[in-house]
Amino acid sequence: MIEEITAVWIHYNLTNRTIEHLVIFSTALILAVICGITTGLLLYQRRRLAPPAFLTLNTVQTFPDIALLVLLIPIAGIGTHPTIIACVLYSILPIARNTYTGLASASPELLETGRAMGLSDPEILSLIRFPLAFPLIAGGIRIAIVLTMGIVTLGGIFGAGGLGAPLQTGINLIRPDIIFVAGIWVGILAVVLDGAAGGIESMLKRRFGSW
Amino acid sequence: MGGELLILIGGSGSGKTTTLRMINRLVDPDDGSVLINGTDCKTVNEIALRKNIGYVIQQIGLFPHMTVRENIGLVPTIEGWSRDQVDERVRSLLTLVHLPPELYMDRYPKELSGGQQQRIGLARALVMDPPLLLMDEPFGALDPLLRQKLQDEFIGIKQNIGKTIVFVTHDINEAFRLGDRIAIMHEGRIVQVGTPRDLILHPADSMVSDLVGSDSVFRHLETLSVSDLSRPLAESSIYPHDALVHEVIRGMKQSGHSIAVVEGGHIPFGVVRLLDLALMTATDVPVSDAATAVLPLDGSDPVLPALQRIREEGCFAGLQMMASRPVALFVPDEVMERIIPGKKPA
Repeated sequence: MIEEITAVWIHYNLTNRTIEHLVIFSTALILAVICGITTGLLLYQRRRLAPPAFLTLNTVQTFPDIALLVLLIPIAGIGTHPTIIACVLYSILPIARNTYTGLASASPELLETGRAMGLSDPEILSLIRFPLAFPLIAGGIRIAIVLTMGIVTLGGIFGAGGLGAPLQTGINLIRPDIIFVAGIWVGILAVVLDGAAGGIESMLKRRFGSW
Repeated sequence: MGGELLILIGGSGSGKTTTLRMINRLVDPDDGSVLINGTDCKTVNEIALRKNIGYVIQQIGLFPHMTVRENIGLVPTIEGWSRDQVDERVRSLLTLVHLPPELYMDRYPKELSGGQQQRIGLARALVMDPPLLLMDEPFGALDPLLRQKLQDEFIGIKQNIGKTIVFVTHDINEAFRLGDRIAIMHEGRIVQVGTPRDLILHPADSMVSDLVGSDSVFRHLETLSVSDLSRPLAESSIYPHDALVHEVIRGMKQSGHSIAVVEGGHIPFGVVRLLDLALMTATDVPVSDAATAVLPLDGSDPVLPALQRIREEGCFAGLQMMASRPVALFVPDEVMERIIPGKKPA
């Protein structure tokens, strides 16, 4: 059993595939976090734009991921780039929505106290609103992590590399051992990453959460 | 008045909190202006204005993501103080509000009790050493015992810091305990401003008298002093010690006094009651033989200790003195009549 796993692992170079996978994953996640928080902040500052913007993002979310990747072929071709674009498009919604909600739901008396102490609006945003929104933003990022992990794996079918590639090989060659090893491994990675994100989220809740 | 504590009191919606918030421009008045030492607030930059006005609210509003040190040191840090300066200031303020700095500096608000949080709130309001402090029902959310403890501490702190304080409350007892002057508000207007004593003894209207409970003066014995409840003495009811009893009886009957003061003799001052004199068999003796001792009092003596001393010394009454002359009688029976509701002195 162990020998078979090791054989598959070495033959299909899963160490490099894993690194590849995690690089695509991290790139996509970092971009998604930047875009998501920025979108959330901009929408918070222009509240009237929030409903249509979230409607659009929700619509993107309803696209099946495989359809989205196919739709991106004319624009971005195949490979790593469309995969990353798809990840970001999917992940903006949970991060932006949670950022927006977190910023908008800071307790009124805390904001009033900040104002009464003589803090300017930018200071209130950076010193009070944002820190208080951290736990919610972290929750949004955690959802994005799970989404991204799935889409990066799917991207392997469209030539993005990563752990989706050996899975695709296994499907094409009808080799259950490859599917088994690569599939379980992707599953373990996803659970570990989600667990780590969950840990960070609850730490932030303890640190910044309301009481 | 500098260093004064002014209470704003009134029912819900009477405008006390709005008045407070107009002072630091959280609300701008539609009309009129708020003057601080003669300067219209509107002409001052609101950020600078607020940094120079401490603000304490019932909900306290400590930032949950900051430690006690960061909460208190927030504005100084923004103002560019060094870490050491901030730490030193935080330490001295925590000491002022009776919290040992080493124990509390690095705690988060949720690790503190309500009373401790409110002390931190007060410390934070004082951090920039503002000359003016606004407090909106700061002790309102605390249980009665803790509230009283914090009020006591606050009285001490107030004397140490000597700041002008505007204090909103709906609790008349708190107002009497803490206030130098009390402004009574109703429907957005100030109905009456005065010292607790003014409000009790001279309420402007029935609303004020209901609020302060002027009808039941006994509730305010702690606030009142001897001069509030004594009866002014006519010069004609003072007799020399060698006046004869029948002369005094005639004099008192003519002037309609039931109590007279006797000056000199074996005691500096004494009193005689017409009732007692009338029962005497020998009426050609000096009146000082019949006089009983009185307790000299100052007009500003508080009522309760005065009553107690009269009782302890076995005197019939107290005599309010001014410049060594008797000016008013303080008779416990009459005082009781005035302070028990429903019984007004004739």
